[in-house]
Parts: sequence; C-alpha cells; structure tokens
Amino acid sequence: MLIQVENLTHIYNQGTPFERVALREVNLEIEAGERIGILGPTGSGKSTLVQHLAGLLKPTAGRVLLEGTPIHSKGATARKLRLQVGLAFQYPEDQIFEQTVFREVAFGPRNLGLDEAEVAARVNWALEMVGLDPVAVAQRMPFTLSGGEMRRVALASILAMRPRVLILDEPTAGQDPQGRRALLDKVGAWQRETNMTLIVVSHALEDLARLVERVIALREGRVVADGPTRQVLSDVKLLRAIGLDVPQPVALLQALRQAGKEVRVDRFLPAEAASEIARVWGLRGSVT
Amino acid sequence: MRPFIEIENLKYVYPSFIPPHAGGQRGGGGQIVALRGVNLTIEQGEFVALIGPNGSGKSTLARHLNALLLPTAGAVWIDGLRTSDAHNVWAVRQKVGMVFQNPDNQIVATTVEEDVAFGPENMGLPADEIRHRVDDALAAVGLLDYRQYPPQMLSGGQKQLVAIAGALAARPSCIVFDEPTSMLDPVGRRQVLDTIRRLNAEEGITVLLITHSMSEAAMAQRVLVMEAGRMVMDGPPAIVFERGARLRALGLDLPPIVDIAQRLQAWGLPLPQGVLTVQDMVDALC
Repeated sequence: MLIQVENLTHIYNQGTPFERVALREVNLEIEAGERIGILGPTGSGKSTLVQHLAGLLKPTAGRVLLEGTPIHSKGATARKLRLQVGLAFQYPEDQIFEQTVFREVAFGPRNLGLDEAEVAARVNWALEMVGLDPVAVAQRMPFTLSGGEMRRVALASILAMRPRVLILDEPTAGQDPQGRRALLDKVGAWQRETNMTLIVVSHALEDLARLVERVIALREGRVVADGPTRQVLSDVKLLRAIGLDVPQPVALLQALRQAGKEVRVDRFLPAEAASEIARVWGLRGSVT
Repeated sequence: MRPFIEIENLKYVYPSFIPPHAGGQRGGGGQIVALRGVNLTIEQGEFVALIGPNGSGKSTLARHLNALLLPTAGAVWIDGLRTSDAHNVWAVRQKVGMVFQNPDNQIVATTVEEDVAFGPENMGLPADEIRHRVDDALAAVGLLDYRQYPPQMLSGGQKQLVAIAGALAARPSCIVFDEPTSMLDPVGRRQVLDTIRRLNAEEGITVLLITHSMSEAAMAQRVLVMEAGRMVMDGPPAIVFERGARLRALGLDLPPIVDIAQRLQAWGLPLPQGVLTVQDMVDALC
C-alpha cells in the first residue's frame, strides 16, 4: 500500500470562534500507480485532504502514511518522502516567484541537486508537457503570461520534479478546451509510462472521466462515495446531492430515459453519448 | 444613434518585459503583439460572449473597454467617448465595470457592504446616495442578508457576487466579465451565471462574457471568436457552433449538446437547426 489515510481529522482554528472542521475521520487506501479523482463542492475538504497527502499540514487527529511512514513527521525519512509528492496548487500566484519561466521551472530540479544539463532537459520536457513552447517562453517573466499560461508554468514546475505521487488541484481551470484536453492526454500518457500515482482534484467531471479510474467524493469533510469513475459520475442522485453539475451528455441521456427511451446513462463524453443514442435510434454510426 | 461600444482597427502591443540581463535563448525577443486590428460594435443591452484560445487577446481586448489599456493604434469609443482622451477616463470607467477571474484579488474591505461602497466612496458621492447604491447593488445580486459579513467567510461564488455588486454600485451600462466562473465550483458558477443573465434581461446591462466554457457561451445572444489578436467569427451561437471543424482547428470546442447533435446529423439523423440545450435535443428526438 502506497498511501494510507487513517482516521484523519483536520480542524482549522481549533478552540477559537472561527473553528471549522474540514475533515472528519477520513480513511483511504491508495495503491501505487492508481489514477484517482477527488470531487466535492467548495468547503468539502478537498484541498485540505490533498495538502495532507503532500505532508503540508499536521493532522488534528489520525495520520497519513506514505509507504508506512507518517508523512508529516520530523526527520530525514519523512522529508525525503515529502519530496516524492508534487502538489500543483490551483492558484499559480501562490507558487510562482522567479524572474523567468526557465528559472521558475528549474527551481525544483536544482533543489534535487541535478546538474545543469539535466535541469535544462527537464525544464524543456516539462514546458512541452504542458503545451508551452520552451523557446518562446523560457526567458519571459512569468507575470507577463496570460492567466492560463501562468497556470501551465506552475504545473510544469511540479512536473519537472518527476514526483512519484502527482497531485493536481483543478489543473485545467482557465485553460482553453483543446489545451486542456492535450494537457490531460499528456499527463495521462506520462502516468501510464511511469506508473506514477496521480491524484486530480476537479469540478470538471469530463476531465475526470478522461483521466482517472477511481473517484472519491467528499462532502462536509467526509467521504460520501469511492468507486470506479463510471459508477460515481453517472450517479445523478449523488452528484445533485453534493451540488455538482450532472455532465450534459448524462443529463441528456437521463432525460431521454425519462421520455421512455431505453438508453444507458453512464456515457459522459459527447462521442459516447452520441453513439449510445445512435445505437438506440438504429443509426449507421452506432458501431464505434 | 451610435452603438454603445465601437472599436475601430484596434492594435495593441505590450512593451517588452524581457529583463536585459536574462541569459539563455531569447524567445524571439522584443514586443508582444496582442491585438492586430480588431473592429467591433456592440449595442446597448446585448449579451455577448467572447471565446478564443489562451493568449488570443481576449483579456487585452476587455481591458480596452474601460481604459485600463489604451490603443497602440486605432480607437475605442464607449457611448461616444473616445477612451484615449485622458479627460474621458473616469466617465468611461463609470460606464463599463469589470469583474475578473479571481474574486480574492478584487475584494478590498473587511465587510461586504464596505467593499461594495468602495467605488461610490471614491466617486465622492454623498453618504445617503452611497447607502442607496450599496443596498441596490447587494439586492441585485441577492446578498442583502450578507452585508455585514467579512468577505472571507463567503464561498467563492458569493465573493464573485460581491465583486459584481461592487461593479454595479457605479451604475454602469455595461459589465465585462473576464472568466468569472473558472475558479468556482458548480454551485458558485450557477449563482454567478444566473445573476449575469438577470442583470442583462431585467436591468438591461450590456454584458461581455469572456469564457472557456462553450456551454456558457451558448447562453449569449451573440458569440465572438478571437484568434491570435484578430476577431475571426461573430454571430449567434447556433451559427457560430455550426462551424465545429473551424472551432476545433482554433483549439476550441463545441458545447456538448451541439457536439452530440452534429455527430447524430452526420450519421443521418435529421435534427432541426440550432439545437443548443438538453431540452432542445429532447424535443427534437422525442
């Protein structure tokens, strides 16, 4: 078992009037190489949970083990373990601080003690992974980039560390549709190649449908669903209960079902939903 | 009558930001041309969506509409006022409000009502007029009950509504929304989109909505598409989204329902034109 979350509780501002319980006795097990999506409304504890997985917060109660060692503990072993977990924050402003894109992305690899040739190779690779042209952007100041481009730089700086566990918090917010698809495809391909563990926090159910095989849903600090992607994302009742949007293809299939048509509803992507409708309506394109 | 927004051959070049000592390769160096001759008119009361890939110039264009940026060449008129005339700047900013992506960067005060009052106070209005405007603005976004709240106690969607109320308190004719929902969860997104729709339909506010969500763009009466600093499409959503191949070539996408409809049509299912929503599709199929 790669990661074990045991009875994890997190309370912010405990003992003050602003006390807020963010996580309540969460238990999870994550195997090496899994691709996991985490969803839930604002305030459900998603960001708190992933910060715990990266060892950035101290549990109020319970613990998080990475390969059997509490990740938040003091000492060299835990510190080494924390370096293997890369967390890309939702707001790039929170993590970007260097003068040029190159130096920003090189910061992590340099900290790993790699030589400059390897650092440069990793920077180029990471920028290409996120769909930026290294030649065009390497010497620009990060804050002169557009919002979407800045976010890609922030992500590249985490990828360049080649973490064993990669955690992405809303990786595609502010990205144009094909940039977002390309990014997901590349991260997905790299994950399969390296068998890295991938954890993605997202409201974008279509992104999760493309990228992950298991989805964990949180609500008010508790795990309310944990299962195969297709099963969780087509659970219309669950999605509505936790305030999430039903993907439009699922909403369409659901409406057709209510109108008496025998369609399956667990088809999230437009191409899948179109094939399902074509099958039931007996169209030529039904075999895909 | 002149249109509310008139843009004529607008060009904008960002000054070079490359630090002089930066080593390594130079990315073509020099200036970044963001807008390459944009022509556009928008009438009072329109609801217009603006889409385009990252870096196509959407935000740069938006920042010209309230004189946050001034044209390198060409001109922008707001309600007949040329933005590049220095004495028009405040009138232009009163007429066109802006709401940005990240609500946390737009909130300045310690309570909701103080935050909304910030603009009117800066305009030097009398106290009772400020009170009146703040209450109206908070009522318009449905946050009157939250007026005493510290903004950080609100959800992302509510914070964005505070930012909208702040824009409304200046009594603008137009509000430009620059990806107002891309950092919100679905509940927040619905709150913000419902509010935008209502402000347009009921208060007659001209809306320019910049978005990466094709479903959001489909809510507008008119969709503009930018690519590499140029306006490349302009029309009602049903017409613009018919050009799926062209949009894909631009790195854009179709709203999921339009995508499904076009696939089914390609497979020989007759569907009426202009299917945009789940309901349209169910009506067509059942």
